[in-house]
Amino acid sequence: MSKKGDMLYAWTNDSALAKKAECGGAVTELLKYALESKMVDAVLAVKRGVDLYDAVPTIVTNPKDLDACAGSLHCGTLLLSKLVVEYVPKMSGKKLGMVVKGCDLMGLLELSKRKLVNLDNILMVGVNCGGSVSPVTARKMIKEKFGVDPNTVTKEEIDKGQFIIEYEGGHKGISMDELEEAGYGRRSNCRRCKLKVPRQADIACGNWGVIGDKAGKATFVEVCSDKGAKLLDAAIKANKLSTEPANPKGVELRSKVESSMYKLGDKWRKKDFDILAPTLWETIAKETGRCMKCYACIDHCPVCVTIADKWKQPDQMVRAGFIPADPMFHLRRFAHISDSCINCGQCEEGCPSEIPLALFSHAIRTEADKFFEPKLGKPAYTN
Amino acid sequence: MSNEALKYVPTTCPYCGVGCGLNLVVSDGKLVGVEPYKRSPINEGKLCPKGMTCWEHVQSPDRLTTPKIKKNGKFVDASWDEALDLIVKKFTEISKKHGPKALGFQTSCRTVNEDCYALQKWARCGFLTNNVDNCARICHGPSVAGLSLSFGSGAATNPFEDVLNSDLIVMWGSNAVEAHPLAGRRVMQAKKKGIPIVVVDPRYSATARLADKWIRFNPSTHIALANNMMYYIIKEGLEDKAFIAERTKGFDDLKTMVQKYADATNIHGVPQETVKEFARQYASAKNAVIIYCLGITELTTGTDNVRSMGNLSLLTGNIGRPGVGVNPLRGQNNVQGACDMGAYPNVFAGYQAVAVPENRAKHEKAWFLKEGSLPEWYGSTLTEQINDAGTTIKAMYFMGLNPTVSYPDSNHVRRQLEKLDFCVMQDIFWNESCDYADVVLPGTCFAEKDGTFTSGERRVNRVRKAVDGPGQSKYDWEIIALLAKKMGLKGFDWKSAKDVWDDMRSVTPGQFGVTYEKMEKPESVHWPCPTIEHPGTPILHIGKFSAADGKGTMFGLEYRPPAEVADAQYPFSLMTGRVIFHYHTRTQTDRAKQLHYEVPESYIQINTQDAKELGIKEGDKVKVTSRRGETITKARVSEDVAPKVLYMAMHFHQGVNNLTNTALDPLSKMPELKHCAVKVEKVA
Repeated sequence: MSKKGDMLYAWTNDSALAKKAECGGAVTELLKYALESKMVDAVLAVKRGVDLYDAVPTIVTNPKDLDACAGSLHCGTLLLSKLVVEYVPKMSGKKLGMVVKGCDLMGLLELSKRKLVNLDNILMVGVNCGGSVSPVTARKMIKEKFGVDPNTVTKEEIDKGQFIIEYEGGHKGISMDELEEAGYGRRSNCRRCKLKVPRQADIACGNWGVIGDKAGKATFVEVCSDKGAKLLDAAIKANKLSTEPANPKGVELRSKVESSMYKLGDKWRKKDFDILAPTLWETIAKETGRCMKCYACIDHCPVCVTIADKWKQPDQMVRAGFIPADPMFHLRRFAHISDSCINCGQCEEGCPSEIPLALFSHAIRTEADKFFEPKLGKPAYTN
Repeated sequence: MSNEALKYVPTTCPYCGVGCGLNLVVSDGKLVGVEPYKRSPINEGKLCPKGMTCWEHVQSPDRLTTPKIKKNGKFVDASWDEALDLIVKKFTEISKKHGPKALGFQTSCRTVNEDCYALQKWARCGFLTNNVDNCARICHGPSVAGLSLSFGSGAATNPFEDVLNSDLIVMWGSNAVEAHPLAGRRVMQAKKKGIPIVVVDPRYSATARLADKWIRFNPSTHIALANNMMYYIIKEGLEDKAFIAERTKGFDDLKTMVQKYADATNIHGVPQETVKEFARQYASAKNAVIIYCLGITELTTGTDNVRSMGNLSLLTGNIGRPGVGVNPLRGQNNVQGACDMGAYPNVFAGYQAVAVPENRAKHEKAWFLKEGSLPEWYGSTLTEQINDAGTTIKAMYFMGLNPTVSYPDSNHVRRQLEKLDFCVMQDIFWNESCDYADVVLPGTCFAEKDGTFTSGERRVNRVRKAVDGPGQSKYDWEIIALLAKKMGLKGFDWKSAKDVWDDMRSVTPGQFGVTYEKMEKPESVHWPCPTIEHPGTPILHIGKFSAADGKGTMFGLEYRPPAEVADAQYPFSLMTGRVIFHYHTRTQTDRAKQLHYEVPESYIQINTQDAKELGIKEGDKVKVTSRRGETITKARVSEDVAPKVLYMAMHFHQGVNNLTNTALDPLSKMPELKHCAVKVEKVA
């Protein structure tokens, strides 16, 4: 019987899925089994759209359809948390399985805090994430830095600090540091992220720490909750999944990878925040002074929740019909999320005015928080 | 619950000509929202307030759901057969009695290429008329005319993103931040890169706020300012002599003309030092791009204003490579496409002139028409058709238009529409002009049909059906095909939007290589793209201009004042434009909660000094009157407009177009929407 804290290697017994999925396909298999066994009524997953740069959320109810969601898409920068609230209302009261990376997880925890999702009804299969690359940036990077036509790329991965592509005619890896120094690479919020293994999910999976003959063929699984243990045991019992205890050296390596990612996150935080600090308010004023009031930063934010009759009351502090938006548009938003910005980057990525919104709210959340007691918000995670 | 509980449909925003990608979100056959399409190279998932809310009107209970026929002065529901039979009967009768010039066909630039192509094909095949036009006529008609004269092609020369390769960005008469927000974003990115931005605009617009240098000039004095600049460029020897010699003609004409503009401050109002400095900056930048918009075009000098932009770029060699060019920001989502599709009175699709016998012969053959049947004459344009309503024009067909709000001099438009024997409006909502129709037909909107929009950078973007249209509504091209088939015409047996597109490709060499397959990925293709293997043409005029002789042409152009200038009785110059929160006549945007909240009614911008003299305070109700009509609006008092200059947005019923002038640019037939003389007074 598994229990919280267990660490093991797991792989699917379905050879077709193993071929299609990455690292043993345990994530897909677990969710498939959750659907088959009716532990969940549906799975909110991500599939490939027009190509590998296009990540598309989908709700799957037929276990077979989950195969199409196997594998990772590092060039998809979706946040699934808010979709649960906005587009899956018919799931209320039903059980939903989800794959969550760190930001998806934090978003769900924040929404739960606001009583907008009931985590009892969500089975979270976490995946470790070292960061993602926006699709258009990824294509440019592959064209300009790799010298490869992005349309010919068949696979991409981030491994051992490199962004690696396989394409028609070869494969190539370039260090993420080099790419990021040149203005490519992961989104800036991902660079600062320190939630790499989502241990507040029910189960945390990934490839960090899989060594020896299982390298590339098994998934590292950490059991994080009773719900997670139950799922894993049932899947093993049903002969869907095989496991073996994680190699202790692998566990050590996993911890090393994680701590080196933390260090890198700290480095980027220092860099980004140090640039911002001396001219903080001037920068915020100048940058937000271009706001065209598209509301993307609010709509896409998993911790911003607008009131139902928002458009019925005149706003005293932000005049209707004027752009750039009056300063309180953003100052108010920063205040609202000061205790819970998860640095998911959706605000910044969606901003048509190129305002580094995630940088600002992340700086407020983490930098300002140093001086507050009690701390701004008390989450179950650290980021 | 099926897989369709959550479905993302990647498509193209239905609003401006930037052509942003977005995902429509569908759940169980209902539209439930918009989510970013980050895979799109055009906007990378970013959207403006209109794009963010573009789904909200789609399932409005106000949508048209059945055909309606006016009987005894009242509109009653009708079957499709009844409505279409009536249209065929009336149009055929009128055409037989009064000839092909008695009919007028107009298509919106808001609808897909396939609809535009279908309408012009039906007009030409069914009634042998060239009286077919689209509303580019009152937006970028002068760009088509002017850029064709200067460079041989009437379209933008470089893509939006290419401004990031520039060393100087000149925004002239373009408030991109509000009118083309995601093109405005490219300028914001450029600014972050340190590329200098000069905004030339009479008004301190949202775009002027981005500028490193904002040059305020007197409204509608573009030619004088451009000539004045070119005077200095030539005087100081800053022109690109090699480029002029090798690739252009007309330099001497230009040179002679600009000598007269050694000091034109009395016309344009800009100090000579500023003109000189700007001229040097533009001429000496390694790569300088001009982005312009309706501030340039919507005047009786529109075509010459556009040619002045052409002159500047040719004189300094700023054309035909990355980072340079002359780029009109096309207003509507498909204003480029509607023109490309031949919904134009003198050309077939792909700008193949109707006056050329070979072009007519080719189309007659392709369209199963009798040899020699297609007309060679230049058809009647958009507002000419309105002006001639009741005299030479007896019946009109409007697809997706609201002329009583968007055309100049609304009172005139209303009077003219009354005079028609028969009028059809095909739309998605009952707009203010539908009252003047005899038959109103329910079409489908962007979310309910497949098709394509061609953006301002000549990129053909796919539009994908997400949900079914309401009630008995039909695809707009399908309605046209049904009409054509009822008339017994051949060549309208399309089963899908792709069939219509392929029909167009078969007669349009410049777009033959633009296939639906190539449009699957959001990079799609920029026309010209003559063959299947051709990669498309993001940048025009590299090495050779599109003109027959391969040369760019400079013109000596004289400044002419607007048709109506301020005087003692009407002492203010009124300019018009857009606000970011609305699209055209608001049939769609006003049904989005945020957009209605932001700007529920019209306003007028007035200078602080003028307001003080007239006793007008912020928010006061004012009456604005021109020789043609009046409107009541609210005052916004600021220094954003100069003294004696006013600004109103175009979006409102009984609004600014009650005041605007119908005087036409002789070359492009553009009415002078951007300039008229008015008086303003406070309403007690």
